[in-house]
Amino acid sequence: MNALERHRRLSAIWASEPGFRGWFSTVNHNDLGRMFLVTAFFFFLVGGLLAMLIRAQLATPHSAFAGPEIYNQIFTMHGVVMMFLFAIPTFEGLAIYLLPKILGTRDLAFPRLTAYGYWCYAFGGTMLLVSMLFGIAPDSGWFMYPPLSDAIHSPGINTDFWLIGITFVEISAIAAAVEITVSILKYRAPGMSLDKMPIFGWYALITALMILTGFPPLILGSVLLEVERAFGLPFFQADMGGDSLLWQHLFWLFGHPEVYIIFLPAAGVISTVLPVMCRTTLLGYGWIVAAAVALAFLSFGLWVHHMFTTGIPHMGLAFFSAASTLVAVPTGVQIFAWIGTMWRGRPELHLPMLHILGFFVTFVIGGLTGVMVAVVPFDWQAHDTAFITAHLHYVLFGGFVFPIFAGIYYWLPHFTGRRRFFRLGEIAFALVFVGFHVTFLAMHWVGLLGQRRRISTYTPEDGWTAINLISSVGSFILAFGIAMILLDVLLHALSAGRGRRNPWKAPSLEWAMMTPAPAYNFASLPHVTSRAPLENDPGLPLHLATGGGYLGTPRDGRRETLTVDIASGRPEMLVVYPANTRLPIVMAAITGLFFLSLLLKFYWTVPLALVGVAALAWRWVWGLGMQEDPVPQPIGCGLEVPHAAAVERGPGWWGSAFLLTANATFFGSLLFGFAFLWTVAPGWPPPEWLTPSWGALILGLVGVAAGSLGMRLAMRQNRRGAAPSMGLALALAGTLALAYGCASLMLRAPAPTEHAYGATLLVLGGYGLFHAALAALMVVFTAAQVRRGFTSRTRRSVFSITCLWTDYAGFTGSIVLLAAHLSGLSP
Amino acid sequence: MRDVVRIMLAPLLWLAAFSAVYGLQGLLCGHDVTGSIAGLPLPRVILIAAYGLAIALQCGVLAWLCRTRAAVGSRFVGFVSRATGWTGLVATIWSLFPVALLSICG
Repeated sequence: MNALERHRRLSAIWASEPGFRGWFSTVNHNDLGRMFLVTAFFFFLVGGLLAMLIRAQLATPHSAFAGPEIYNQIFTMHGVVMMFLFAIPTFEGLAIYLLPKILGTRDLAFPRLTAYGYWCYAFGGTMLLVSMLFGIAPDSGWFMYPPLSDAIHSPGINTDFWLIGITFVEISAIAAAVEITVSILKYRAPGMSLDKMPIFGWYALITALMILTGFPPLILGSVLLEVERAFGLPFFQADMGGDSLLWQHLFWLFGHPEVYIIFLPAAGVISTVLPVMCRTTLLGYGWIVAAAVALAFLSFGLWVHHMFTTGIPHMGLAFFSAASTLVAVPTGVQIFAWIGTMWRGRPELHLPMLHILGFFVTFVIGGLTGVMVAVVPFDWQAHDTAFITAHLHYVLFGGFVFPIFAGIYYWLPHFTGRRRFFRLGEIAFALVFVGFHVTFLAMHWVGLLGQRRRISTYTPEDGWTAINLISSVGSFILAFGIAMILLDVLLHALSAGRGRRNPWKAPSLEWAMMTPAPAYNFASLPHVTSRAPLENDPGLPLHLATGGGYLGTPRDGRRETLTVDIASGRPEMLVVYPANTRLPIVMAAITGLFFLSLLLKFYWTVPLALVGVAALAWRWVWGLGMQEDPVPQPIGCGLEVPHAAAVERGPGWWGSAFLLTANATFFGSLLFGFAFLWTVAPGWPPPEWLTPSWGALILGLVGVAAGSLGMRLAMRQNRRGAAPSMGLALALAGTLALAYGCASLMLRAPAPTEHAYGATLLVLGGYGLFHAALAALMVVFTAAQVRRGFTSRTRRSVFSITCLWTDYAGFTGSIVLLAAHLSGLSP
Repeated sequence: MRDVVRIMLAPLLWLAAFSAVYGLQGLLCGHDVTGSIAGLPLPRVILIAAYGLAIALQCGVLAWLCRTRAAVGSRFVGFVSRATGWTGLVATIWSLFPVALLSICG
C-alpha cells in the first residue's frame, strides 16, 4: 500500500460527516479542538465588548452611559465570560487539538466525551448570553458573594443564571480534564517515556489534574447556594447556622488555583514556542517540570489571601501570606529557565516571539504586584480597589493572552497549512502592548488613589477623571489591536498561499504530519526515542506516511490507536474508538434540559431529564461491549498487544479513576463545609441534633461491606469462568442497603430549612444516596452485560469499573453515615 | 502511575499538612481551648507539635526519595521527585512557621 492509498483509506475511516451535519456528529479531536477555539474566541469578543462598555462608563465622572443595574450586569458578565467561557475553554481547545499530535497518537482517550464536553460548554455559554440579551444577566460580581447573591438581596433570576449556567459549563471542564489526564498518561507514542514527553504535555497534565481538584469546590458552592435560593436551606445565612464566609472559602478554593489553571497552559506554550524561536532547546526541562508541579500544589494553599480583610485570625493570615510569597519561587524558576533559554539560543523576532516578549514584561509586573498584595498590611490598603483589578489583568492578560497569541501565530500554519502573507500582526501587537499598559498602569495608579473596583461612577472632586480617561483611551487602543489580530488571523485562514510543512523547523511531533492535519493525524504511529524526534530524524514524516511505524495498515474500517505504560512508554493495548455519533449532542441537550428545568423551576421535568441522561449513558457504554473474545492484535514492528476489552484496567477504568478524583474533592469540600460551619459559624449549636438510628447505620455499613465483597466475588467468579450472579446479587443488595441508610438519614435529619445543620445532613445523605443508586445502576448494567454475553474470562473490564464505583460509593457512604450519626451523639 | 505519584508525594503531603494545621488552628480557636503545659499555652504546644510532625514527615519522605532513587525507572523521575521533595520540606517549614510566633486566635 503506498502513502496516497493509505491516506485515502485512513481518511475514509476517520473523517467526519461532510458539511454542516458533521459539526453535530463529529467526535474527532481536530474538529472539536477547532470548534472549542472558535467558540472561545467568540466569547472573548463578547467579553472584550463588555470591557469596552465598562471603560466607556468610567471614562468621565457622572457618566450616564449605563445605570447601576445594567453596569452591574456588564462587569459581572465581563468577568464570567473571560474566566469561564474564554480562558479555560481556550486551554481545552488548544489541548484537544494539539495533544494527540504532540504525543504521537491519533485521538484523545474518549472522543465522545470530548464532543459531550464541547456541547455542554456551547449550551451553557449560550444560556448565559441569552440572559444578557434579556437584561437578566448575573449582577453580583463574578465571585457572587452571599449575602449579596442570596434570595433575600438578589431575588431575581439573575444569580440563578450564574449558579446553574456555570455548573453546566464546568461539566465541560471536568470532562476535558479527565480526557486530557488519561490521554497524556496512557495515549502516547510507543517509546515516549515520561522524560521524553513534550513539555506542553507536562503542563497540560498538571493543569488537568488541577481542574479535577480545583473546580469541584466551586461546583459544590454553586449547588449549596442554588439550593439555598430555591428551597431555603440556610448554608450561608448566619442567623440560621450558616456562614457567608463558607462561600468565600469554597469559591477561592477554586478561584486561586484557577489563576494557575489559566497560567500553566500558557507557560506550556511559552516553553514550547520559545526554544524554537531561539533556535535552541529548553533549558532546565527537569527543573521546569518540578517547578510546575510545585506551583500547582502551592496554588492550592493561597486561597485565603483573597480573604485577608474578612477578620480571620492573624495566624491564619500569616499561613497564607507565607504561602503566597513562596509561590513566587517556582514561578521565578520558570522565568529564569526561559531567560536562560533565550541567552543560550539566537532569538529571532518572529511574531510569536514578540508576543512572548510582551508576556515577559507584563507577567513579571503582574507577579511583582502579586507579591505586594500577598503582604497582609499592603493588601488591607489595596483590597477591593482598582489596583487589584489592574494586578489581576496583568497576571491574566500577561500570563495567558500574550502566550495564547504567541501560540496561535506559532501553530497557525499547522491549523491552515498556509504561510503568513499579510503583516497586520506586528502592528496589532504594538497596539495591544501599548493599549494594555496604558489601560492598566493607569488603573494601578487610580487604585492607589482610592478608587474602588466595580463602582459605576465617581465625582470630579475625587480627582480620578484624567487617569480614568487615559485608561479608557488605552483600552480602546487595546481593543483596536485585538480586532486587528483577529482580522489578521481571518485573512490568513481565508486567503494566504500554501505554506511548507514545519515552517519553524520545530523538533516536535505535531509537525511530522501534513498540514492542515488529516483526521487520523499519523498514517502510522512513531516510535519515540528522544524529546526532539523531528530534529533527530528529519525523515520521520516520510517514514510514518509510508506506514513504517505502528498501526500502519488500516483494517476492518476501525479507528485504532495504542496505549502505553505510563512510565516507560511501552505499548500496552490496542484501543478501537467509536465512530461519529450524535449521542454526545443529544446527551448534552438533555443535560441542558436538567439545568434549564432547575433554572425555570419546572421541577417536574427534572426527574425526566435525569432518567434521560441515565438512559443515554447506558446506551453510551452498552455500545462498547463485544460478544466475542478478542485475540492479541498485531500492531506492526513485530509486536502484538491485547485488545483494551481484554485487560483489567482499560481506558474506562482510568477515566473512572480520575472522574472519581474530582468527585472525591467535591465530597471532601462538603465535609470541610460541615466542619467549618460546626466550628466557625456563629449560630451553633443547632436547636435539634440528629437522633441516631442504629438500625439504619448498621444496615448501611453492612451494605457497604456487602457491595464491596459482592463485586470482588463477581470478579473472581468471572475469572474462573463461572456465572457471577451470586456476587452481583450480593453487590446489588449491598448498594441498595446503603441507599436505604442514606435515604433514612435524609428523612430523619432535623428540619433542613431551620438550621444549616439539618441542611448539611440532607445534602450529605443526598450525596450518599445518589452514589449508592449510581453504583446499583452499574451493578444492574454489569448483570445485563453478563446476561447478553458481553463478558467472559477475557472480556472482564466492566467488572473492575463497577467495582471501583461500588467501592467509592461504599467509602463515601460510610463516611456520610458515620459523620451524621456521630454528630447526633455529640450533645 | 507510581512514578507520577512519586513526583507528587511531597507537595501532596505539604498540602495535607498545611490544611490540617490550618484546620487545627480553627478548631482550637472555635472550641476556645485553653490550659498550659510547662508554662506554655496548650494551643501553642499542640500547634508546634503538629508543625514538628509535619516537618518530620517531610524529612522522612525526602530521605525515602533519596534512598530509593536507584529503584526508579529513570533518572529524570528521580531528579524531579527529589526536587519536589525539597519543595515540600521548604514549603512546610516556611508556610507553617507562624505557629511559633503569632497570636493564635487574635
